[in-house]
Amino acid sequence: MDFIEYLPPLLRGAGLTLVICIAAGVLGSLIGVVLGTAKASPNWIARFVASIYINFIRGVPILIILLFTYFALPLLLPALTFSRGFTAVVGLSVYAGAYMAEIVRGGIQAVPKGQSEAAEALGMHYFARLRFVIFPQAMKIAVPPGIGFLIALVKASSLVSVIGFVDLTRAGRIVTTLNQEPLLTFLIVGALYFVISYPISLLGTWYERKLA
Amino acid sequence: MIITVEGLHKSFGKLEVLKGIDCEVSVGEVLCVIGPSGSGKSTFLRCLNFLESFTEGQVTIGGHNLTGPKTNLNAVRRDVGMVFQGFNVFPHMKVIDNIMLAPMKVGKVSRTEARTRGMALLEKVGLTNKADVYPSTLSGGQMQRVAIARALAMEPTVMLFDEPTSALDPETVGDVLDVMKTLAEEGMTMVVVTHEMGFAREVADRVLFMDAGVIVEEGTPAQIFESPQHVRTQTFLSKLL
Repeated sequence: MDFIEYLPPLLRGAGLTLVICIAAGVLGSLIGVVLGTAKASPNWIARFVASIYINFIRGVPILIILLFTYFALPLLLPALTFSRGFTAVVGLSVYAGAYMAEIVRGGIQAVPKGQSEAAEALGMHYFARLRFVIFPQAMKIAVPPGIGFLIALVKASSLVSVIGFVDLTRAGRIVTTLNQEPLLTFLIVGALYFVISYPISLLGTWYERKLA
Repeated sequence: MIITVEGLHKSFGKLEVLKGIDCEVSVGEVLCVIGPSGSGKSTFLRCLNFLESFTEGQVTIGGHNLTGPKTNLNAVRRDVGMVFQGFNVFPHMKVIDNIMLAPMKVGKVSRTEARTRGMALLEKVGLTNKADVYPSTLSGGQMQRVAIARALAMEPTVMLFDEPTSALDPETVGDVLDVMKTLAEEGMTMVVVTHEMGFAREVADRVLFMDAGVIVEEGTPAQIFESPQHVRTQTFLSKLL
């Protein structure tokens, strides 16, 4: 009945969920910026490669990506045997990258064509146009949906429990088998997810207010 | 000749919008291009700095052959300023930063030097007091003058104007035309696609009338506006009066 003794494992799970979400959020955003830029580029090879990645990853459940990375990849290439935590970060990053790429592409394509033409007419080369003219405007457009996706990513991260990684969800299940109190335990687990994801919403609100 | 165009053809898919344009512009000349919508005059202008690629023909501008094997288009564009109908000022930068961007990033000019140059140009277009505001607070005419200053900051030898006053409120058109007139008087080589016949008549050294992808007629403003030879020119001008 003494709940205090079950709180540390839950908090530890929450901490690990937070860590893999931050890592996957950062890596996924980086993949997204690179692939989203490629998908919006004038170079057809870059567009083609980015399209294959995005369509393939978006067409496969995140659960399958995680299971494949953890159980199947080492059979193909033994060098790719990862720890549970590393697999969780890789799987979530690969998944987040595809969605972030589409958000970034949308942002880039929402910048009026005249902006790029004006920079082009000034003699700026492609990467200078991106860096100084297109990105600053595209990111303003991409940030609100990007924030929305990061919140979804925190919740999707609960799926990493299938490969045995003791994240917040799995910690909750372990605790319920010990204390036989699923009601209270999962209420706390839910509250902890909220504590992780709500600051991301606040960040989004703050950003939109800053722009207004 | 600072610009030489020979046998310029341009097609969008099956639609041929330029059907063989030949034209020359000498240093310091102001050439106005007039004609009905869809006549290909904007496309022609955009071919001059290769914002639009062309199907056939040769364009030489400021000593660069646009389709030459070793041509660096960005180097060409540094010498050729362009002003657009829709201004295309950068909304995320202050007015002065709009003007300083290209000199600093393309021209490798120092920040101090770029700022000095930028402030001088703002004075020229009459917007010194707007240096540190964002473009969203400006009127259309003010934005277009910022766009002109931005193009001039690269110290181009030729300026291209693509219907620079077509998107403006009538009361701000005059300020933009005044800036362009001053520029012409200072000896800038200019190619201006325009619907402002008053400007063309007063400022142009030569007027070129285009229709359906060809140059129908060209001559001095007096020749074109007082005694147009071709029936299409006559029809076009009579509709404007």
